[in-house]
Amino acid sequence: MSISDFDFDSEDELTLLETLDHVLDSGLVIAGEVTISVADIDLIYVGLNVLLGSVDTIHKVLGERVLREKKSDE
Amino acid sequence: MSVRGDSKKRRGTGGAGSVAAHAFYVYCVGERGALARLLEGELPAAIESGASIDVIEGGELAAVVSRVPLTDYDEDALQTRLKDAAWTATRAMRHEQLVEYFAARTSVVPLRFGTIYFERTGVEQMLAERDAELRRIVERLRGREEWGVNVYCDRVKLRDKIASVSPRLRELSEQAALAAPGQSYLLRKKIDAMRADELRAETKRVASEIEDALAAACEAVTRLRVLKEEATEHGELVAKLAFLVERQRFDAFRDAAERLAAAHGDAGFQIELTGPWPPYNFASGA
Repeated sequence: MSISDFDFDSEDELTLLETLDHVLDSGLVIAGEVTISVADIDLIYVGLNVLLGSVDTIHKVLGERVLREKKSDE
Repeated sequence: MSVRGDSKKRRGTGGAGSVAAHAFYVYCVGERGALARLLEGELPAAIESGASIDVIEGGELAAVVSRVPLTDYDEDALQTRLKDAAWTATRAMRHEQLVEYFAARTSVVPLRFGTIYFERTGVEQMLAERDAELRRIVERLRGREEWGVNVYCDRVKLRDKIASVSPRLRELSEQAALAAPGQSYLLRKKIDAMRADELRAETKRVASEIEDALAAACEAVTRLRVLKEEATEHGELVAKLAFLVERQRFDAFRDAAERLAAAHGDAGFQIELTGPWPPYNFASGA
């Protein structure tokens, strides 16, 4: 199979998994470096462990569903 | 999954008299003028349906933001919300689609989900303090986009390939076939261990070769963590990479990937390209 055989957009759920990998990745780009709140400015920083835990859950939920659907297609 | 629906642009009141019950959710940072112009277009949905999409300006830069209710986005509430996969997936997709809208049209520093400030002044201060760094990143990302490369390996196929090409393994197998039962057992244990080592080494070697070859066809590469060894219909995910590719050079990058896929297909490797993504993995440092 060559890369041209991959369909980039039609697999919505796989797209979702990839999106989550990107959007919820471990390195909160700028916020990660601004976690210390400055005296008069309140800043929320979403804890890394929360995001990772969340990603794992979603992978589990959707990953299994995708695999199941694949199997039922065959 | 579709999270479209509210594509109408809503201009909010901005930060004037910002109420304590709201926070500012930041999507991306870019050049002030370009972002202001793009805000006039038909925008994808905000992170919360009905929320406005605005910019907060600072120097030459601006941040694209939405006001979000603290009932969902303060630290405790958000931790609870994030445990709900459907809630998180919906927000992640909205975040992605909005950032994609801007990233496809101008150079932006894309932020990941969950960059939230209580006060408008917090965003302004971030823009001011990081002005030079952010502008350098905006320049570096101009005209470029991120492509993901997932390398999968069919272990069974690779094991067969290794068995047929490794003279040492073949020799040991022949010895084992002729040996007395006790010795044969020990030899087979040795063969298994050796095969596992060769599998690991070969997987690593091919993954590095793919990474190096693609790196030569792009501007920058980042090795991402593989969350866990996951079985998929393509085989096991053995490498997850991100590449920063000049838009005009994408055809060459894709050709390189196709050549690699063809070269390593027999040994059980598959290469999957995903993208283009906003360059999340190239948005820090400068």
